[in-house]
Amino acid sequence: MSESNAEVFIVDSIETLEQRIAQVRDAQRIFAAYSQEQVDKIFTAAALAANKARIPLAKQAVSETGMGIVEDKVIKNHYASEYIYNAYRNTKTCGVIEENPSYGTRLVAEPIGVVAAVIPTTNPTSTAIFKTLLCLKTRNGIIISPHPRAKQSTIAAAKIVLDAAVAAGAPKGIIGWIDVPSLEMTNTLMRESDIILATGGPGMVKAAYSSGKPALGVGAGNTPAIIDGSADITLAVSSIIHSKTFDNGMICASEQSVIVDSSVYSQVKDEFTARGCYFLNDEETEKVRKTIIINGSLNAKIVGQPACRIAALAGVTVPESTKIIIGEVTSVDISEEFAHEKLSPVLAMYKADDFSDAVAKAEQLIADGGYGHTSSLYINTATEKEKIAIFQEAMKTCRILINTPSSQGGIGDLYNFNLSPSLTLGCGSWGGNSVSENVGVKHLLNIKTVAERRENMLWFRAPQKVYFKKGCLPVALNELKNVLGKKRVFIVTDQFLYKNGYTKCVTDKLDELGIVHTTFYDVAPDPTLACAQEGAKEIRLFEPDCIIAIGGGSAMDAAKIMWVLYEHPEADFMDMAMRFMDIRKRIYTFPKMGEKAYFIAVPTSSGTGSEVTPFAVITDQDSGIKYPLADYELLPNMAIVDVDMMMDQPKGLTSASGIDALTHALEAYASIMATDYTDGLALKAMKNIFEYLPSAYENGANDAKAREQMATASTMAGMAFANAFLGVCHSMAHKLGAFHHLPHGVANALLITEVMRFNAAEVPVKMGTFSQYAYPHCLDRYLECANFLGIHGDTKESQFENFIQAIEELKEKIGIKKTIKDYGVDEKYFLDTLDDMVEQAFDDQCTGANPRYPLMSEIKEMYLKVYYGK
Amino acid sequence: MRKCIVEKELKSVYVDGDKVMKVFKPPYSKTDVLYEALNTARVEDTGLDIPKLLSVSIDEDGNWIITSEFASGTSLSDLLAAHPENADEYAEAMVDYQIEFNKRSNPLLLKLKDKLSRQIQELDIDNNIKYELSARLESLKKHNKLCHGDYCPDNIIVETDENNKITKMTAVDWVHATQGNASADVANSYLMLKLANASFAEKYISIFCKKTNTDRRYVDTWMPIVAAARLTRKNPDEKELLETMIDICDFQ
Repeated sequence: MSESNAEVFIVDSIETLEQRIAQVRDAQRIFAAYSQEQVDKIFTAAALAANKARIPLAKQAVSETGMGIVEDKVIKNHYASEYIYNAYRNTKTCGVIEENPSYGTRLVAEPIGVVAAVIPTTNPTSTAIFKTLLCLKTRNGIIISPHPRAKQSTIAAAKIVLDAAVAAGAPKGIIGWIDVPSLEMTNTLMRESDIILATGGPGMVKAAYSSGKPALGVGAGNTPAIIDGSADITLAVSSIIHSKTFDNGMICASEQSVIVDSSVYSQVKDEFTARGCYFLNDEETEKVRKTIIINGSLNAKIVGQPACRIAALAGVTVPESTKIIIGEVTSVDISEEFAHEKLSPVLAMYKADDFSDAVAKAEQLIADGGYGHTSSLYINTATEKEKIAIFQEAMKTCRILINTPSSQGGIGDLYNFNLSPSLTLGCGSWGGNSVSENVGVKHLLNIKTVAERRENMLWFRAPQKVYFKKGCLPVALNELKNVLGKKRVFIVTDQFLYKNGYTKCVTDKLDELGIVHTTFYDVAPDPTLACAQEGAKEIRLFEPDCIIAIGGGSAMDAAKIMWVLYEHPEADFMDMAMRFMDIRKRIYTFPKMGEKAYFIAVPTSSGTGSEVTPFAVITDQDSGIKYPLADYELLPNMAIVDVDMMMDQPKGLTSASGIDALTHALEAYASIMATDYTDGLALKAMKNIFEYLPSAYENGANDAKAREQMATASTMAGMAFANAFLGVCHSMAHKLGAFHHLPHGVANALLITEVMRFNAAEVPVKMGTFSQYAYPHCLDRYLECANFLGIHGDTKESQFENFIQAIEELKEKIGIKKTIKDYGVDEKYFLDTLDDMVEQAFDDQCTGANPRYPLMSEIKEMYLKVYYGK
Repeated sequence: MRKCIVEKELKSVYVDGDKVMKVFKPPYSKTDVLYEALNTARVEDTGLDIPKLLSVSIDEDGNWIITSEFASGTSLSDLLAAHPENADEYAEAMVDYQIEFNKRSNPLLLKLKDKLSRQIQELDIDNNIKYELSARLESLKKHNKLCHGDYCPDNIIVETDENNKITKMTAVDWVHATQGNASADVANSYLMLKLANASFAEKYISIFCKKTNTDRRYVDTWMPIVAAARLTRKNPDEKELLETMIDICDFQ
């Protein structure tokens, strides 16, 4: 026993094991507080001590187990100490190991606790060194369960590492072991540990996985090595011999079969013979077959034995210096004994008709018992890239080695320096493992991610050019020729505007500029897909380099859709209309617009703001489904806001579109995505509307200033909601309009004050989810609007009530009725359709930006209040 | 009229009309006799059609007697010896019957895994081998299928038609019955068959694997374990072969 253990006793029973586990657990608690500096000092000291003991430990392992070769085990011990140390000497494993101040994240490494380590007979000392060093580097405690056949050497290795670690300052008893192993104790250890590093037979690995604790196990290997016709045969044969004879073939990644292309078969055979390997004749093959495998299981007597001794066991005489005995066999089925894993210098050799036959054979050998482990290929890497691609595609192995001795190659850092050094090789789910790579320190750490709250990046996007002022239209259109060099213009408008000469000012200007044009004027309100398709057909024939939409929301939306169909006839509206939570993270990538035509929007009403928004709504005339499209690709390139185009709006339109603009501003201001950029636009839009909408409504063209201020308000509100988006008032208005044919502006007007009361609640059932939205503050936001509008009150509540009252008064002044019922919506039909309307409103794209996340029952309640007016 | 059909040092079997009597002579343990009777009754409780247990009694000489219904017919081993040309068919019938009783279970039966584990621990062999075998046993799946434990042609009674086709089949001697993994039972039968008739053994196991869609490797995994269990019977003829079979090594 080690003097450095806190208590000296032998672990030979469940009771003493429990004591040891408790002791290691105590030590680990202390160790968990060590700094990186302390840990690295211990890691160095332990690695040095293990390295120094490499020869005595190798001798002890061979003499105890009767398997393997001392000189090769020296290499394994050397590797387990030096290479593992070198790989992780600078790796941070304690505390903060990574920090990203911009994103506000830190990775903090913590030990897992007590590691149960199952150690095999084939590599007892090197695996013990490997696992104890990994645990020391990661501040874990470890208890080793050795195989009874190799217990003394395993324990000796662990003790050397422990003594050196404790001398360098590690807590006493940080490494423990079972002195007299039994299956019951191993199972107890695995159950009571925090994680299991199981390197051993399938029984042990399965026991580990069924212990209920996280386990890192390994799987069976049955490495096939293909020698392609293009391979360097001398290199291939010597590499395989070098690997297969290493420690008498006991490395799990070692080659078990060689599959040789028929074109080089005899050369390969000659080379193997010349390098000291022995080919068995038929009779000898049969004898060896029955010796190495008994009833499908590997004969323990041959494991790690030299070739001549195995031959002798089979009753075959071979020269004592024989390196490998090779059976030339044909079947890759598991019923062929040579197709098994042999853990000894016995090799199967197959002749393949061609490369695909070789790959098929290798696949079967992997399926026979090597899923997830290692496969190997000897080939000309310069000329045979396609074959390598086929091979790497076909092999269900986690390590695919090219021109490399697989024993030394699989463990990493010897023949490839980007493959992690390890003596525990994960085999992925194919091998029943949780990891598919070489096990290292990262697998023995719990990494905590500290994530500070960060706010989303936001944006402000608007058309590249927004031209405004009374009479600006012809001036702006000059650009078509002078700046943009456009030659063919396609105009989209509605029948009313066309017949009443609203497009004439545009067409006259185009004629003056010498630009060819045509006009599509068949857009109806709530434009349909059929209408857009009709227009698109004409666009395709006309092949314009510019589209000008003239009209209200309908004409502009229809023109945007025609634009999409013109630029991307293959586009799918279902995909485009798919709801998203965050426009930047949506699944659908909107196609690039503007490659064929420049898009100009000229509004003729003051309300929709469509000339500056990335939205368009189109209705499928067959299903009645509305497709709301939203993407910044849909932003017009130029908006021309000329009040001359709006002077003669009828009263109803002035009222509905004016109040629509007010709801745009109010919802954009209350939105969880509102920013200072959009706030300014929204506030000024609101102020214009409160001041000028009544006069615009009453006096129409007689009050040009009111008209102009309303035009500005509409476009500014459009820019605000193009970036801050809207809210549940619009969600509900969309469905109210669709189900009961109320004009969009009227529907919004009816709902807005009820929605404001809903949003202003200081204790909402649920608030909206957005990093910037810190707490329910919508009441304060509304009061900011009231302040800007000069609406005051003695208390917050009275000020809010006054604001609501002002909106109600505004509505009244412009002829908006009080309730949905007042607009003649049948009560029974309203109630019958209410649940559908509620669900659809809840799922509307606008709901996501609302500051209060609405329950469907709450939407229903609002609809009912607005229907009855109470 | 009582007719002796088996005569051993401690056990004789008599047939009397439609009954069969197993007579256990001292110092045969009454625990073993009662266990055999109880175990057989538990197999009967699974609903499998086997000769019914009629009574357990003691005769005037103090011998324990288990009386059961007599299964008339010949043993499969006799039939196989007489008609080796029908081996394929008989192997298939043997597998079919086994698949049928494997579908049954009784939660009161001893668990096969516990029994095998105890048998491995009892063996006087190298501790390393015990460790390997125990680890392997631990990793194998526990099932609750009815297993015979001694399912071999000697313990199968058949009736045949004029063409020597089997018309009825009954397994007898259920003393070793357990609940567990059918592949272990198959591995055990295979080992017994292999010692007597290797080619029939191969037929039997390959038919089983094919019919039940079982990977041969899976059955093979049980071989060293059932070989170890068989070693506990201390049959000198089998000892050497079984000892070779248990010294195996799993991949590492």
